[in-house]
Amino acid sequence: MTASDHPLIEAAGVTKRFGQVTALDDVTTAVTSPALGLLGANGAGKSTFMKAMLGLVKPDSGRVRVLGMDAAHQAREIRRSLGYMPENMCLPMGMTARDFIVHMGELRGLPHRIAVLRASEVLFQVGLEEERSRLIRTFSVGMRQRTNLAQAIVHSPALVILDEPTNGLDPAGREEMLALVRRLSAELGIAVIMSSHVLEDIVRTCDAVVVLRQGQVAATRTLADTSAASEREARVVVSGDSAAFVARLKTAGVTVAIRDDHFLVSGPDPDTMLRAIRDAAAETDAGLHELRPAGPTLEDALIGDLS
Amino acid sequence: MIQGKVHDVRFHRYDGPRSGRLAALWSMTRWSALRALGARRGWKAKIIPIALTLAAFFPALVVLGLRALFPSSINDNLAAVLPYSDYAGIVGLVILVFAIVVTPELLCPDRRDGTLALYFATAISRTDYVAGTVFAALLPLMLVTVLPPAILYSGNVLFATHPLGYVQGHTHDILRIVAAGTAMALYFAFVGLAIASLTGRRAFAIGGYLAFLIVPTIVGGILSNNVEHGENFRLIAFAAVPIHVAESLYPVVPDAGDPSNTAWVMTWLALILLSALVLVWRFRGDEG
Repeated sequence: MTASDHPLIEAAGVTKRFGQVTALDDVTTAVTSPALGLLGANGAGKSTFMKAMLGLVKPDSGRVRVLGMDAAHQAREIRRSLGYMPENMCLPMGMTARDFIVHMGELRGLPHRIAVLRASEVLFQVGLEEERSRLIRTFSVGMRQRTNLAQAIVHSPALVILDEPTNGLDPAGREEMLALVRRLSAELGIAVIMSSHVLEDIVRTCDAVVVLRQGQVAATRTLADTSAASEREARVVVSGDSAAFVARLKTAGVTVAIRDDHFLVSGPDPDTMLRAIRDAAAETDAGLHELRPAGPTLEDALIGDLS
Repeated sequence: MIQGKVHDVRFHRYDGPRSGRLAALWSMTRWSALRALGARRGWKAKIIPIALTLAAFFPALVVLGLRALFPSSINDNLAAVLPYSDYAGIVGLVILVFAIVVTPELLCPDRRDGTLALYFATAISRTDYVAGTVFAALLPLMLVTVLPPAILYSGNVLFATHPLGYVQGHTHDILRIVAAGTAMALYFAFVGLAIASLTGRRAFAIGGYLAFLIVPTIVGGILSNNVEHGENFRLIAFAAVPIHVAESLYPVVPDAGDPSNTAWVMTWLALILLSALVLVWRFRGDEG
């Protein structure tokens, strides 16, 4: 069996206490998604779980396997194979971006010549190719975060762990970082595990999410499924001839439930349902005052998991 | 016709061979040493190391220059003009200042910028880091402790009437030059790194290093001159310890009233071991 046959991460009954504080409490999960979000409030155990994956924190009980390797016994191999972007800024201010990326590539086993080539590649990917010869101390916060991301992927890891990558970024910098993170799994073929306490960051960059609450796994969701489920039923409020509107809807093959002040419309799939609502409103000249998912949205579901 | 070259800068996966632990160690050593010498940085970072390096070479270059300019009026026996055994003493202050400038630069920025956490979280162990940094301190230090007398030796060979005969007659000198230079570099590297490991502030490390070398040296001098049979107080002249150890490797009779060569070597060894223990203590932790 090769590493590629294994889930990216397997955690079984992982518990870690720091004194009286239980940071991780019997965490069990298996990650196969190419882009997984770890969502949780500050102190939920996200960073501790990530450090357990890297073998930096040894669980009191349970085990973590990363790319088929045991984090407790093969931490060195795991750390050389993975990319890791820590939450806190940790770049050497007195080095140029290029030198630093070359150095990090060499430390993770790239021969010097390859490290130089790949440093250029990854700096291009994160949009810093023009700034590669500048000292890092002259960079903005956004440029430093992109340098931090570049060092995490320079050695071509199969999996990169990003700990709160949008921390401290202004809106423009945050947009750029989220686009980069999405590209890692979607275009560059690098699996991503990203932690954040910002729901939108996870929704925009990940395919699946593990919600941590007080050190426990509160939920594991595949975002596309959750999102699709929430979109199969719509809450509709119209003005005008509502009876004609409902009659027209029923001829289009969707189900309509009449409530006091609104209708609940459901169909075989979201596209068919929405087309039917649009056409019915247009043909009966009804004013469409409200159209939204009837059930809990993805955000509603995740907020429910978090609280 | 203007020719251009198209570079493919797309992201590629790398599935080629990966280097091992020794290569990572060498990378740590190389980049740290370059940084300490101010390489790839502005002229302000370079000027002091370059000036001190030139100062360390100055006596050798002066003697060899005079020998080249006035071959007939300078005594062939250059050992009498500038003996190898005296070189460490002559440039001792330069080496001391060089060590004070260079060694804090190897550790303090990593601690201050938080880079240590990144290194340990991603690529190398604490042992690798410390070993790489010690080597990174030794390389530039040996540039000023070994190379200048080695250049002097090479010049002596070239200007000798019978170069081969000079080499045959002074084989032990080249070994002594390497051993003495290495002894000095080891001392200044370990002591400097130990002190630098105690703080993330370069200014504090430099101040601490200066205080550690200069204050006991002054106190030792005062005590040895004013206390009856107090010659062993000279052993706490920490700035002079490596110079005495370097000189002890040559067949030179110590000054009357000085501690024995063995006492100097034991002091040198004890301080290196103590410094190594400080480094182990400061970088102790789970190796993962």
